[in-house]
Amino acid sequence: MNRVLSDLALGVRLAVGGSRKSWVRLLLQGAGIGMCVAVLLLAASIPTAFGNRDQRGDARNLVEEGTGAAPLLLENGSVAYRSYFVSGAYVRAVVADAPKPPGVERLPGDNEIIVSPRLADLLASPEGELLRPRFPQEVIGTFAPEGMDGPQDLRFLAGDSKIQPNDGNQVYAFGHGYPGGGLPTILLMLSIVGAVVLLFPVLVFVSVATRLAAAQRDRRLAALRLVGAGATRVRLIASGEALAGAVVGLVVGFGLLFALRPLADDIPLPEVAVFPSDLTPTLPLTLVVVVSVPVLAVLTSVFAMRRTIVEPLGVVREQKPVRRRLWWRIVPALAGAALLASQFGKFGGQAKPEEWPIIAGVVLLMFAVPALLPWLVERAVHRLSGVTPALQLAVRRLQLDAGTAARVVGGVAVVLAGTVTLQVILAGVENDVKAEDARAVNRNSLSVSVNETTPLPDLPDVLARTPGVVAVHSLQRVWAATPDNDNTTIAVGTCAALKTVVDLADCTDGKAYLVPTGHGFRDPEAGDVLRFEQTGDTWTVPPLERRTGTRLGIFVTPAAAGNLDLTRAHAEIQAEMDMTRPDVAEHVRNALAPYSWRVYTVFFGQDNSSEVEQVFLAVRRALYGAALLTLLLAGASLLVVGLEQVRERRRPLAVMAASGVPRGTLARSLVWQNAIPLVISTVVSVGTGVLLGVLVTRSFDAEVHYDWAGIGFVTGISVGMVVLVTALTLPSLRRATGALGLRTE
Amino acid sequence: MTSLLTAEGLCKSFGKTNALDGAGISIREGEVVAIMGPSGSGKSTLLHCLAGILPPDSGTVTYRGRDLTAMNDGDRSELRRTEFGFVFQFGQLVPELTCLENVALPLRLSGVKRRDAERAAKEWMARLEVDAVADQRPGETSGGQGQRVAVARALVTSPKVVFADEPTGALDSLNGERVMHLLTTAARETGAAVVLVTHEPRVAAYSDREVVVRDGRSRDVEFVR
Amino acid sequence: MSIGHALLGLLEGGPRHGYDLKRAYDERFGHDRPLHYGQVYSTLSRLLKNGLVSEAGVEAGDGPERKRYAITDAGVTDVERWLGTPEKPEPYLQNTLYAKVVLALLSGRSATEVLDAQRSAHLTAMRELTRRKTDGDLADQLICDFALFHLEADLRWLELTAARLDKLAEEVAR
Repeated sequence: MNRVLSDLALGVRLAVGGSRKSWVRLLLQGAGIGMCVAVLLLAASIPTAFGNRDQRGDARNLVEEGTGAAPLLLENGSVAYRSYFVSGAYVRAVVADAPKPPGVERLPGDNEIIVSPRLADLLASPEGELLRPRFPQEVIGTFAPEGMDGPQDLRFLAGDSKIQPNDGNQVYAFGHGYPGGGLPTILLMLSIVGAVVLLFPVLVFVSVATRLAAAQRDRRLAALRLVGAGATRVRLIASGEALAGAVVGLVVGFGLLFALRPLADDIPLPEVAVFPSDLTPTLPLTLVVVVSVPVLAVLTSVFAMRRTIVEPLGVVREQKPVRRRLWWRIVPALAGAALLASQFGKFGGQAKPEEWPIIAGVVLLMFAVPALLPWLVERAVHRLSGVTPALQLAVRRLQLDAGTAARVVGGVAVVLAGTVTLQVILAGVENDVKAEDARAVNRNSLSVSVNETTPLPDLPDVLARTPGVVAVHSLQRVWAATPDNDNTTIAVGTCAALKTVVDLADCTDGKAYLVPTGHGFRDPEAGDVLRFEQTGDTWTVPPLERRTGTRLGIFVTPAAAGNLDLTRAHAEIQAEMDMTRPDVAEHVRNALAPYSWRVYTVFFGQDNSSEVEQVFLAVRRALYGAALLTLLLAGASLLVVGLEQVRERRRPLAVMAASGVPRGTLARSLVWQNAIPLVISTVVSVGTGVLLGVLVTRSFDAEVHYDWAGIGFVTGISVGMVVLVTALTLPSLRRATGALGLRTE
Repeated sequence: MTSLLTAEGLCKSFGKTNALDGAGISIREGEVVAIMGPSGSGKSTLLHCLAGILPPDSGTVTYRGRDLTAMNDGDRSELRRTEFGFVFQFGQLVPELTCLENVALPLRLSGVKRRDAERAAKEWMARLEVDAVADQRPGETSGGQGQRVAVARALVTSPKVVFADEPTGALDSLNGERVMHLLTTAARETGAAVVLVTHEPRVAAYSDREVVVRDGRSRDVEFVR
Repeated sequence: MSIGHALLGLLEGGPRHGYDLKRAYDERFGHDRPLHYGQVYSTLSRLLKNGLVSEAGVEAGDGPERKRYAITDAGVTDVERWLGTPEKPEPYLQNTLYAKVVLALLSGRSATEVLDAQRSAHLTAMRELTRRKTDGDLADQLICDFALFHLEADLRWLELTAARLDKLAEEVAR
């Protein structure tokens, strides 16, 4: 044991001691592994961040059951403002020590309000000008972090003494956990794929970083063997060296995490922005990182030495490499594809998604890329015999050692494949959202729903008097159960009223329409018998014409309603507006401000597409940023490996240049040497990426869309990077091929 | 007989060290000239300048009336590829290529078809008695075999001058003599001149005459007098 | 090793008595084999007879003959020819070569040229042996190799001496 420790210590001393070169190498390793560790720790913080967010959400949940009179009355008062959504509630304390939600010091009294910092900013800014009239109350404080989802939360809590108790507003306490919840499945999938895609290369780079300056190290270890160290001890010493780099990397990684944490506050996406304090890696995951990084580093360095098991005389004779076997390399690809294919269409409904097959499938397919690449490169290169000498040099070099090049390029390939996957998924989601949004634009009516418990008979008149309102229509809406036990709505209104929500060109009384749900849901058909749960009545669906609209369900004109009982119908008023007036919807909403929580408005005419575009742009930017960062990391390792190779092959290169081999030929052979694995890996990774994207998208039963421009962009970048890296190795080639390269050291 | 390759007044310094300080030499067609001298005397630098690998700081190198020092890098590369052959002490074979491909490489670089290049390469390998290792990689051959493969590669383009820098430096006497014997015999048969840098008298004994370099100056019987 | 040439070379520095000559010779070349007086005088009388030296007067005093000898022009030419002629390469000729180098240094002539001429002669011999070796059978090869290795040893000594000429010149000048 003592022996082992002293050998490890010798390795550490070799890594840190001595020349400036060894320090530089250690720093490079530390920086490379450090970046990886930082990414891993960030990923390890995600459970904390979203767990805390969920906890805060649960702590805010209402407890609506209790005995006796409720101590607190609460009405939901969330409002939309342009493309912002402000969540909040109006409360009235019935007793003095009424329960209060987390994050507030005291409950607001009548005409008092508590806002989140971000809402306060919005209200104070010119952007919030038209929102101000809706919050005339006196601001008595801001929410503490525990009362909000994240730093970018728009939230308020206002007091209103006019709230009267009813069935739905009794609150006995706060804090109630519900099962489920969390991210929407497709977002969950996006984040899982994203995490896998970004974490996988990190693991690859930990091993690449460990192998930095490997040739030099092999020489040093050979010298150790020459003075009598056994193979096992040399392995231990090498492990010690790798360990030193990994430990430095861990320190750098933790430093980076704490340096970057404060920036989490300013992420412009409210859904993603988290409090810096939430970015704390969970203990188990931190332990996993702290243990696995050094272990991985040691394993790679020992594993990489298995062929060059350092001989006393250093340079081991290069032998014909063993042929790579296909069978175990193809297993992950097949298994991954099969797992994903088995999940096709299972995510359509509200069924709780089975996540593990998808995650496992994605991970397996991702692993397939670096597993298959060396084999593919070898096979492909085997077929090539070299048409030009440059190509021949490159091909032969790759045949002798396809592994190194493929491994490094494989790192790039995983990033590329992952990015392409995310792009395909993203394109699918974006297309969905955009299609929905496109349905909504060009509406000119504000839909006003009235809180069921408070009849507001004067509302239509108030609306009609509001400047900018052209006409006021009302719709009666009832809920009904379909034969499959799904819910649907039936809205009854005049043609003019229906036209405000459904695209109708030729409406006559007596017709009925359907705005279909899509996504594989079964819509009601003519002849279906719908049932009303509260009364037990039934209603037979008349012949329907399919249309598009802002709301889903059945829309009927009064003459087609037949025996439909509208006594329990829900009133919805459509205020048709003069869209030439700027921000007319916000002005009308402000006119309704006195009703505060009694009405809920939805305006479909707000053109959100630019906002949606911005959100997707932000997501895409984040994706590109992360991919670019990872690619840079890959590029750096590629460069180091490239320089090493030139160094190692300095003598043959110099001799070739001396014998009149044009430098151009040598440079071209270097380009080929990187380009062949690159082309293969690009094809493989774009293929894998598209396949993965399609498989995942299909699992959600969503339509597949390809973001070819984006795919082209990342592909271009990774190709460009390899070209750049090759170009950067050319000066060292120049130096190596100078006559000085011929001089013996 | 007229001079094939002549160098006059060559000066070359690396940093503060003067490797060559007014060296001159003259090589006639088909002769084997040994460049001798103690270590650090500038033998190798003289060879590098003669072969157009290294441009001298001053002085001229004339090959068949063309001034090498006035040529650009590309032209010199081509000249080296087509008119000269090279054998070094070690590490000259491309480790990834098989021995046969190594020998065929100069021909391929000059645009000869692969099949023709490899046929010619095979003949030369047979002449140098290394056809047995044609399909092996340099790492799998012995030192003597490797040097003979290198000689085959140097001769395959039928060069006018073969430059050999300590070609036997890494070999024992017997293997060294064998390489020298095969090199000089083959060169004489094809009429190639050989410029041989060596510090071993027995290797130099394979030459027709010797030129001694001392302190960056050469004493060439043919040239100085 | 020619004592006559050595004495001539020593006389180039100026006329000397026979006794002086013996002392100078012993000091420089005769470490293990000093000259006898008889050898000195018989050699000097041969040189005198051949006109390579001349008598430069007799010193007054008693004791043995105090004749001073000086080198003639013919003597100088003879020394020069001797120094310029390489020795026939054969084993164990260092003694002569060494004397040649020292005398060249003493007389301000180029010792390097002496060494180079010798190297050239050696290499010529070695070339001849190499040629014979390549044309001959194994027995020839072995015999030639024997000679080649010995000649090579000489050549290495020549190289070594050439590399140390500056130092030797310093010592000789003292």
